[in-house]
Amino acid sequence: MPIRLLSLSVKDIRYALQCMDICDLIALSLCSKRTKNLVKCSNRKVDRTFIYLDENYIRFEICETIFHEDDESISFYLFDRWVELDSGDREESDSEESDSGERTQKKTVEKRRTFDSWRKEEFTQGDWIAHFLSIFNESMAYALEINDISLPYLDTVKQFIPKCQTLRISPICADNVAKIAFRELSPIIKEVEIEKNIFDDKTDISQFLTSDLRSLSLVDFENPFKVTLDDLLAINITDLSIEPANITVKELNQFVRLTLSEEIKQNRQEAFKGIKYQTVNECLLVRGDGKELLVSISVKSVVFEFRV
Amino acid sequence: MSSTEQGTSSAAPAEPTTAPESAAAPEVPESFYYVHGKDKVVHKVSAGALQHSALIHGMISNLGYTEEQAKANPFPFENIDGDILQMVVDWCNQHKGKPTPPEDTNLPKQKEKLFDLVLAVNYLEIKELLTYCCKQVAMMVKGKSPEEIREIWMIPTDAEDEAAEKEAKKRAGKEAAGETAAAAGDAK
Repeated sequence: MPIRLLSLSVKDIRYALQCMDICDLIALSLCSKRTKNLVKCSNRKVDRTFIYLDENYIRFEICETIFHEDDESISFYLFDRWVELDSGDREESDSEESDSGERTQKKTVEKRRTFDSWRKEEFTQGDWIAHFLSIFNESMAYALEINDISLPYLDTVKQFIPKCQTLRISPICADNVAKIAFRELSPIIKEVEIEKNIFDDKTDISQFLTSDLRSLSLVDFENPFKVTLDDLLAINITDLSIEPANITVKELNQFVRLTLSEEIKQNRQEAFKGIKYQTVNECLLVRGDGKELLVSISVKSVVFEFRV
Repeated sequence: MSSTEQGTSSAAPAEPTTAPESAAAPEVPESFYYVHGKDKVVHKVSAGALQHSALIHGMISNLGYTEEQAKANPFPFENIDGDILQMVVDWCNQHKGKPTPPEDTNLPKQKEKLFDLVLAVNYLEIKELLTYCCKQVAMMVKGKSPEEIREIWMIPTDAEDEAAEKEAKKRAGKEAAGETAAAAGDAK
């Protein structure tokens, strides 16, 4: 029998919403403007949201960290006018009454709502993303992953992609799309992870290294990233990880020495002054004024940590 | 006026005790109160069971009724259907002197009465039962689509909301105009 939810007291509605899982809350938010506002006011928090761009669809994933068994991660495939929901198989516990009148816990495996489709005729892909972020009071998505998409499609989707903390360029993304995506999406991104070597000449990589990003991670174990001393000296990024970097030992040494000096161009000799050197499994270089550079060396990588 | 006595006995002790009889403190006889709903059926409920209801507990805490006085003055809850009040009384009796576990499976399951139950429990301020009822309300739409939720919870569409809002404004305008006209008539 139906009940008129909106006739209940605000306190009761709020508590009922607290008991609902993320997926049910999203479904409720799509019923009307009033229910959208109710969900928004419930202040439910989600842990992370991910947007995956593919040529034919956008996938929006919502992860919620809950400190009990019902950890939730659900995905929506977004299209204009409708979404397909993939919440996967769920194991849920339920209670039932036995013949003796005692209630016992019963475990049931419920395959629910897999690939259900919900329609909202007036919604575009951008509206779906805005709606999902809005009801959880999020101003930005955690990560945007670009897969195999075309340039015209990138031009279209960039119009409605929200701010994201991380841009992830997958190995299946075309080099030219990756470069343009990096250039055009940089203003709304703080961190970039590129999982393939998209650089064909020296100029390319230096453009990336001079950006104002908080973090840049380049990973391609099959195609090492060629970097030079000039590339490294031009770095403007707080956290840079290049795996593997193809650089000569000589240039690496020069980089260490030069970056320890505050006046690189004016007095290079000063940079060497007062350097103490210590070898354990890692190296700690201390400049005359006390500033330190921690160099950690492993079989496959060298990590420089500049301490301020 | 008919009367039912729900799950309690005046001969029964208020609380089970595990202490040896010789060491036990003299038992205070439990007091009982009487409530009735819209159907006027009177339910006899112990003060211990009624403690779940903040509203009733507040009403009886300073009354100091004798059994006879309490019987002669049942608390009327005319806004609560008799069967709903029966459910509430049953629940209070079952949970007398016990805290309700977070997942209480010994609670009424009648979903068709859930809405009325929520209203009654809210009115009677029975926090634990309200919590459970709200969970039941939430469970009604578990795994449902927006359209199914709209149906189960009778949620109006945006167009219906707008129409209702317009209608309310129109009515308010008419009422205001009527009041003005009446005031003008009075002035004449």
